[in-house]
Amino acid sequence: MFSSVDDVLRRLGEHDYIANHTIATVVYLATRLEKPILVEGPAGVGKTELAKVLARALDRELIRLQCYEGLDEAKALYEWEYAKQLLYTQILRDKIGEVIGKATTLREAVGRIANEDDVFFSDQFLLPRPLLRAVTANQPVVLLIDEIDKSDTEFEAFLLEVLSDFQVSVPELGTLRARHKPVVVLTSNAAREMSDALKRRCLHLYIDFPDRAHELEIVRLKVPGVAEQLADEVVTLIQRIRKLDLKKAPSISETLDWAKALTLLNVASLDDALVADTLSVILKYEGDIRKGQQELKEHIALQKAKAAKAAATAPPSDKDVLH
Amino acid sequence: MDAKLVEFAGLLRRNGIRVSLSETMDAFRALRTVGLDDRETVRAALRTTVVKRSVDLQAFDELFDLYFGGLGEAIKQATATTQQALQMSDDEFQQFLERLERMLEEQGVEMSELARALLRADGGQLERMMREAGQRGSLDEIQHGFQEGRFLHALGAALGVGDLAGEIERLRHGLQQDDPELARKLDEYLARRLRDLQDLMRAMVRQELDRHDLGRQERQGLQSLGEKSFFYLSEDEIRRMQEAVTKLAQRLKNVVAIRRRRARRGRFDSSETLRRNLQYGGVPFRVVFDRKRKEKPQVMVLCDVSDSVRNVSRFMLQFVYALQDLYSKVRSFIFVADVGEVTQLFQEHEAGKALDLALTGNVINVYAHSDFGRAFKQFHRDHIAAVNHRTTVIVLGDARNNYNLPQEWVLKEIHQRAKQVLWLNPENRATWGFGDSEMDRYAPFCTVVEECRNLNQLYRVIDRLVTV
Repeated sequence: MFSSVDDVLRRLGEHDYIANHTIATVVYLATRLEKPILVEGPAGVGKTELAKVLARALDRELIRLQCYEGLDEAKALYEWEYAKQLLYTQILRDKIGEVIGKATTLREAVGRIANEDDVFFSDQFLLPRPLLRAVTANQPVVLLIDEIDKSDTEFEAFLLEVLSDFQVSVPELGTLRARHKPVVVLTSNAAREMSDALKRRCLHLYIDFPDRAHELEIVRLKVPGVAEQLADEVVTLIQRIRKLDLKKAPSISETLDWAKALTLLNVASLDDALVADTLSVILKYEGDIRKGQQELKEHIALQKAKAAKAAATAPPSDKDVLH
Repeated sequence: MDAKLVEFAGLLRRNGIRVSLSETMDAFRALRTVGLDDRETVRAALRTTVVKRSVDLQAFDELFDLYFGGLGEAIKQATATTQQALQMSDDEFQQFLERLERMLEEQGVEMSELARALLRADGGQLERMMREAGQRGSLDEIQHGFQEGRFLHALGAALGVGDLAGEIERLRHGLQQDDPELARKLDEYLARRLRDLQDLMRAMVRQELDRHDLGRQERQGLQSLGEKSFFYLSEDEIRRMQEAVTKLAQRLKNVVAIRRRRARRGRFDSSETLRRNLQYGGVPFRVVFDRKRKEKPQVMVLCDVSDSVRNVSRFMLQFVYALQDLYSKVRSFIFVADVGEVTQLFQEHEAGKALDLALTGNVINVYAHSDFGRAFKQFHRDHIAAVNHRTTVIVLGDARNNYNLPQEWVLKEIHQRAKQVLWLNPENRATWGFGDSEMDRYAPFCTVVEECRNLNQLYRVIDRLVTV
């Protein structure tokens, strides 16, 4: 477990995740108050990554439940292994015959089998799905419920029990309580609003695109061998592009892809004919690319103007040195 | 702290952020866990426990700054300004303070607690004392701006500023110092600090006042924007409104997409399943779901763009275009006295630009006087053939006809041909039918007539439109 907010920052950093102060505080609180975190934000800002890194930082197993429309209890919680049950009844036919034994009436026979009911509805035939695995795990785990907004509202309601008490009810077995409370991370792209009941049980974390300094740090960390100046220019331009009115703003992963691509192409600065052709790495719509190219041109012009200005002021200082 | 937190929760609620009791309790526990030392940590802890919708984040941050802000920050700021005025670096200033401390000790000067906190630049202590004084001076009872002086006085009295002034005056004369440079700085420092304290007190009273005002003020966020009538939007609000419209449209799209998909999946149809499986002796090998085909509606929008309803039509058109892929076909017309089709325009340009083009007179003369009758007649002449049993016709306008002929027979014919006719009126329902409003004449030929004065109403109307 984490000992302080700074400890969270440090240990996430050790696993190559650059968190800001807010993220660290929320993570710290989540582990301390034993509450799930609901992470929202635009696509590609590292919501899922947070859970993965958290698992590594805490040295715990990550159990992941990917949500989709139509996800139900049977796929999220548990299922009875019907095939296995059937197989066992076939194999154990003799044994069952023994149990029924000298029962004379049908009613009596059914009664005898009913007595053995719990054999067939025991752990042996239970197929645990992610939620049940997280609850019954012997070691504490990190449970990632990904893209919860894709699931149906019914499923969301069902999650409430799990999230507030960390327990699940299996009608045939009773209530299973978590031995170790898992750290739960839910992510959402806000395709729909989550219910108030769910939100009330969670700590809310909104991760936005990082600011310039943060993103630069991430690029340096994740793209080894990137030229210092290139990284700086890429991040500056990306930050500018995000402010445009785009269909889809470039995410962090796209920034990284772009930086990698440019590094591979041996581009040292954005002032390069190649760069305009690689814009499709960060922008995925025709209209967006056109706007991006415009922005790129302006950016380069601006950089040139700056450089010219710097050059204009530089010579006198050289002379001063000479004198 | 407890009382303050509860009060803060109340403030959030008054400003439209939903905070439940259990969330307040979480906030307590969170603060107990992280402590109160660091302002940003406190902010993050409160934000994560209390604010659960990302649209509320901005409002929360503003309120937090206002409520927890300010005094500590202001004190830090004041000290920094003084330090700057004395032209000292951080280290020099620290040395200077230590020297002052030693000097006071050597010369055996007795000082009040307040003077010590102030002169040592001990921000935490000073803040605590000021807050206590604020409580004693019942600062939280301040209601109006004109009470500022009175409460300032009360605060000063509770803090003991009167004595302090004398004390510092005595120090200025009493402190012996050989170094003239240091003596000058010392003198300036003492004078400045006294002024600083007065500024801080004023700032504190002002903050308290702001806090009370804020409780009463209407919240600026999108929440209230949703309820605000289109007529009274400011420039800035129009810009934010456009964002809101796009967001709402996106949300609606998601909802409808899910609904449609669900409809496609269908429910289990027991009777059909039985019938289909009779050949297997009633054993349900083939399961049948009932599938209803949902048609995407075709929409024709007739938008009044005369001055009186310009804003509404703008958002309406924007909304419809954001939703375009929910409809199989959208055709848009704008009218004032003439009708012009803008469908093409919208396909060729982005929504924003197209709207500008449409509303600045490139299609029709937008500066004419509204004439619904004439516009309807033209529509009938040119486009009535396009209206069929799948078409939803939406008319958006205030039906203020400048006493021209209403020509309601056109609407009657449209009503007969179309699937439905919706009329959205951006005027208050109570004013319909008065003056030159012809709403009462048109209403019988509409399937639905709705008041549509703000974003929330617009959303409801469109929601109904895509689901029927």
